[in-house]
Amino acid sequence: MSAAAPAPGAAGTQGIDPRGPRFGAAITAVLLLVVVGLALSGQLVAAIAVHAALVAIFAWGAFAGIRRHPWGRLYARLVAPRLAPPTVREDPAAPTFAQLVGFLITGAGLVLQLLGVPGAVVVAASLAFVAAFLNAVFDYCLGCQLYVLLVRAGVIRPRAAA
Amino acid sequence: MDSPALLAIAALVLGATAIGFVVRARSGRVVVASDPSSTDARLAVPGAEVTLLQLSSPVCSACAVMRRVTEELVAGEPALARRELDVTEHPELASAHNVLSTPTTLLVDATGAVRGRIVGAARPEAVRDAVRSVREQLGAAA
Repeated sequence: MSAAAPAPGAAGTQGIDPRGPRFGAAITAVLLLVVVGLALSGQLVAAIAVHAALVAIFAWGAFAGIRRHPWGRLYARLVAPRLAPPTVREDPAAPTFAQLVGFLITGAGLVLQLLGVPGAVVVAASLAFVAAFLNAVFDYCLGCQLYVLLVRAGVIRPRAAA
Repeated sequence: MDSPALLAIAALVLGATAIGFVVRARSGRVVVASDPSSTDARLAVPGAEVTLLQLSSPVCSACAVMRRVTEELVAGEPALARRELDVTEHPELASAHNVLSTPTTLLVDATGAVRGRIVGAARPEAVRDAVRSVREQLGAAA
C-alpha cells in the first residue's frame, strides 16, 4: 500500500463526490445509445462488442467498488480538479449497488442474445440507458429503488438476523 | 445509421426525460391520510406528539438529505421526534406500510397511528406543512 494515498477515513474525505458517478453515468448512457443505434442499423456484431465491454465495466464498478470504476478515475483525474470541491459527499454503497443492477440487466441481455434471443441486447441496453440517463440528468438512482423491492421480496435479508 | 436506429434513440431520450420529470414532480410529495388500521404503538417515539419515522436503506443518497432536513426541524420543536430505521432490518415495516422506495417518512401520532407519509427527500417547508396538517387532523379528532 502506497504511503502517498490519502487515508479513506481522513477528516473531510468521508464518502465520495456524488458528481463522479453522475459523470460516469453520462458516458455509460451515451455508449448504451451507441449499442442501440448499431444493433438497429444492422451492425449487430459491433453492437454486441460494445455491449460486452459495458457489461465488463459495470462488473468492475459493482465488484471492485465505484471508487475504482474507470469513469470514476477519469472524473477524479480530469474533471474534479477543474470543479469546486463537493459541498456534499455520499456513501459509495448506493452507486456501487446501481452498478450491480446495471451489470445484471446488461449481462442478462448479453447472455440471452448469445443464446439466440433476438433483440435481447437492444432491450437490455435500452433499460440500462433509462437508468443511466435518470442518474446523469436527474440525479435519480433507479437501480437503488430496486433495493426496497428486493428486501420486500426476501431476496435481500437482514444481516445478523435469523 | 438509418432511420429506425435514430427513431429508437430519439424515443429513448424523450421517454427517459419524461420519466425524469415525473420522478422529480413526485419526489418529496406529501400525502396526509390517516390509516388507523395500521396503529402500532412501537412506531412512535414515547412522549412525542408527532414522530417522523424515516425508513431508509443503505443504498440511498436522498436518505442523507432527508435526515438533515428532519434533524433540523426536530431540533427546534420539543413535541416532534424523529427516528430512522433500515428497511433491510425491518422488511415487515416496508411491507406493512407499502413502502416502494427510500426514503419514505411516515408521520406517526402518539398512539402509533400513521397519519401521513412523505416519499423521497422533501424541502424543509414541505415537511413543516405536513407536520402542521397532521396536527390539525389530531386537533380536529380531539
